[in-house]
Amino acid sequence: MVDRDRFGLGWRPKLALGILSNLDRIDIVEVIADDFFRAPRRERRALRTLAAQTPITLHGVSLGLASSVAVETKRLEQMARLCGEVEPVSWSEHLAFVRGGGIEIGHLAAPPRSSATIDGAVANLRRARAIVGVAPQIENVATLIDPPGSDRDEATWVSEIIRHSESDLLLDLHNLHANALNFNFDPVDFISRIPPERISAIHLAGGKWIGRKGAQRLLDDHLHDVPDPVYELLEEVGARAPQALTVIIERDGNFPPIEWLIDELERARRAVARGRQRAAQKAIAA
Amino acid sequence: MSDSHLESFLARIYVDETTRAKFLADPRSEALKAGLTAEQVEDIVKIDRDGLELLAASLKSKKQGRR
Repeated sequence: MVDRDRFGLGWRPKLALGILSNLDRIDIVEVIADDFFRAPRRERRALRTLAAQTPITLHGVSLGLASSVAVETKRLEQMARLCGEVEPVSWSEHLAFVRGGGIEIGHLAAPPRSSATIDGAVANLRRARAIVGVAPQIENVATLIDPPGSDRDEATWVSEIIRHSESDLLLDLHNLHANALNFNFDPVDFISRIPPERISAIHLAGGKWIGRKGAQRLLDDHLHDVPDPVYELLEEVGARAPQALTVIIERDGNFPPIEWLIDELERARRAVARGRQRAAQKAIAA
Repeated sequence: MSDSHLESFLARIYVDETTRAKFLADPRSEALKAGLTAEQVEDIVKIDRDGLELLAASLKSKKQGRR
């Protein structure tokens, strides 16, 4: 049953003042963990101070969990140390590979959707759980390329990893929206194929179209407003997920005034509430 | 090993312009040279070329933006 949905923003230095001035309207703050792995002591202390004022969730961007290659122990230990210091309510990482053969991609790349990467991800998640002490939430990624070497669709691949691990899904609805438009599938069908009780967090963001005519793709750039269809997907999740959700808006640049982001958060609250209401009405009708 | 070979090969063609150009000029022979399995070679010759170009351009601009 729903305890209490939480709505928050991704922590970025340029948003710091706005976030700190509006903690009464922001339930949770998501912090990029990697920014603090080698941060000076005073910055880590500032993060602990923030964590004392508001619930924090840590978000990793460089583990590369969805790979047939084992994640390096030292990377997991860095995450474990930070989690130990900050005591976040949760931590998360992406279902992506970020390096291969000694090359850093510099991006969250979608791996081949195969049994090898499912097995690799499940093994990496087991190690992450053992070293950090808590299983991460795992996030679906946006991709501009249909990953070569894939033998199943994204919903099947994500569901299999969830079913074989202890990790819940951090469902990035703009990533889903972008992939659905770029590769022509129905995002609501995707949501219906994920066990709803395993969706525990949501990311919202915006993007832009890139590419030449006839070969355009929607890029998830976190530089634009959350588009309407993403709120509609959020309502769908609100109608299906039985447990409390943590909803985070990610904005990495082209920052609007903080009030604008707070309005987006309010819109997200209303979308989840509509979904919850639909679920309640359906339960009464049944 | 073969699955990690595929990930390494993808990382190279996503990031390195020269490797990518060679691959796009002759995908089969470059994939064979990289030690991919016969099945992986068949998959990768059908690569989504538009997606590859857009991804590479996006990575390049991200890298430049970071400097």
